[in-house]
Amino acid sequence: MLRLSFICVLLFACWPLAGEEQASATDIVRAAVDHWRGISSYSEMTMVIHRPDWERSMSMQAWTKGDERSLVRVTEPRKDRGNATLTNDNEMWTFSPRINRVIKIPSSMMGQSWMGSDFSNKDVARADDIVDQYAHTLISTTERDELMVYEIESVPFEDAAVVWGREVLMIREDHVVLEHRFYDQDGALVKALTTLEIDDMGGRTVASRQRMQKTDEADEWTEISVQKVEYEVDVTDSLFTLSNLRNPRE
Amino acid sequence: MRILIKLAWRNLFRNHRRTLIMLSAITVGVWAMIFMTAMTQGMVSQMVHDGISVIPGHVQARNPNYGDDPTVNNLLPVPDSGIAGRLEGRGFSSWSTRLSVPAVISSERESRGVTLLGIDPEREADFTFVDLETIDGRYLEGVSDQGVLIGAKLLERLKTRLGNRIVLMSQTPDNDIADRGFRIVGVFNAKVELWEETWVLTGKETLQTMLGVPDQVTEAIVFGDNYRQVDEVADSVGDVFDNSVSVQRWTELDRYLGTMLEVMDGFTLVWVVVIFLALSFGLVNTLVMAVFERVREIGLMLALGMRPSSILGQIVIESMLLLIIGLALGNVLAWLSVSAFPDGIDVSIVAKGMEMMGASSILMLDLRLQDVVLANSVVLILGFLASLSPAWRASRYDPIEAIHKVD
Repeated sequence: MLRLSFICVLLFACWPLAGEEQASATDIVRAAVDHWRGISSYSEMTMVIHRPDWERSMSMQAWTKGDERSLVRVTEPRKDRGNATLTNDNEMWTFSPRINRVIKIPSSMMGQSWMGSDFSNKDVARADDIVDQYAHTLISTTERDELMVYEIESVPFEDAAVVWGREVLMIREDHVVLEHRFYDQDGALVKALTTLEIDDMGGRTVASRQRMQKTDEADEWTEISVQKVEYEVDVTDSLFTLSNLRNPRE
Repeated sequence: MRILIKLAWRNLFRNHRRTLIMLSAITVGVWAMIFMTAMTQGMVSQMVHDGISVIPGHVQARNPNYGDDPTVNNLLPVPDSGIAGRLEGRGFSSWSTRLSVPAVISSERESRGVTLLGIDPEREADFTFVDLETIDGRYLEGVSDQGVLIGAKLLERLKTRLGNRIVLMSQTPDNDIADRGFRIVGVFNAKVELWEETWVLTGKETLQTMLGVPDQVTEAIVFGDNYRQVDEVADSVGDVFDNSVSVQRWTELDRYLGTMLEVMDGFTLVWVVVIFLALSFGLVNTLVMAVFERVREIGLMLALGMRPSSILGQIVIESMLLLIIGLALGNVLAWLSVSAFPDGIDVSIVAKGMEMMGASSILMLDLRLQDVVLANSVVLILGFLASLSPAWRASRYDPIEAIHKVD
């Protein structure tokens, strides 16, 4: 932790402060999303799904380009190797080498769990909806480890396809999302995405370990830890095609 | 003839105890026939009525492929605005158009598959399965109502409540996801719990906008005056549309319901005959005994010159008199017991089971003249045939042997 705060202090020192004061809540959120995604990115990560009576872990590679396109491919364990998910805009396809089929995820399954984790297909396919389907307000600014942390309340628009009553984001001034809490319409916390570790990777400070946990089930969570991220890498458009989903070409 | 009737009448009272027993058996039998028929008919007509409110309609016009694939890809090939002009003023008791698509409804905690209906609330109020009196919140207020009306059971399943927002997700004709949030403006109750879980209602135009199919619907619903006579309505609706539209009667739209109506009509006859068969053993037995007791008397009458046909007539008339009195009593009893339950019989103790059949927990009794006539004529005709055998035997006695028969 000491090391971490040291890094934070360093970063704080380097970060250009100009204009940050006026940043509106929406800008903060957008900056955080852009910061995490970049214009394009390549990352390697591990997902741990924990349940009271079992736990499993999966290693994955992920590519993103722009706000809309992403490809995630499982590398470990062996039996899941080659399982892949492609998203393009709001559409989503999966490929499983075992059945050798590309399946388009129908709208009816968007709410269901992604690869057995605590993330839903929708969380994966439409992560950037947080920017434009909500009204954001800055509710507090605190200081943590000498960095400003913005607490932003995001309330979905009346006709937004979002079930939550409101979401609360804790975004550090260097655009790292520390916490993302989901509340129901009665104000009760349903689930939360918490950042457990922050690291410098690919030239940026990013959340390297995050845990999604439902409030009702204390012993069920999904953790994603990022081993490696590269930003602004050259990702060709042909990566995000159905044929590449089925037959990886690298 | 007169004398025969007189003889038959008096014979009835020679063993009044036996006559009384037989009479009560016939009365109870006839009562059971009519009362049970009224009950099944009541149940069937209610099930059909409720079923039609869900289909809905006596006759529907829709895309020929919609039955196999009820999605937004199989829209009615006629614009919605063109349908009103075609259906109005043709003497239908009510009609409406709606957009009906499969959808997924999600709350914060649950999501379920439902059928999302974009309706014209004013038109549908005439026939909807929604119990308009017990809506919590409000009913939809027009074709562009932005809220949704969901069933009480679904509300419970979704762990949400009135006034909260839910998300509905469906598909556009291009197979893209169409989704948006809706606020729950009303919670309805329906007769069958399953319906509360199946249907989600919103304004027709709201749904058209969400799915990107302006002025398009999946079905046109037409009601005639009577669910038993829908052919005329179907023909009339068929005239309105061309061949690209399939016009179907409710009996085709819900084959289970249609078949059930036919089966129940046949079942009434079977039921009456079965009861009569049980009854006829008693009747024949009584007549055989009556004949047996009077062998010497019959022999004497024959010896005095009464023709065998008169003997036959006398016994048949005796049995018919018995039946007629029994029928009269049975009918009166059945009528009394049906009128004792003007509001139906509450069978809520087996409500779950009734719901599985698609019936509600209050059994209405439906006493129909044709069923009463059927029961009475079956009893009279079959009773006549059953009494022929003992009567025939009596008329064939050899008078000399009969007179000398020692009891």
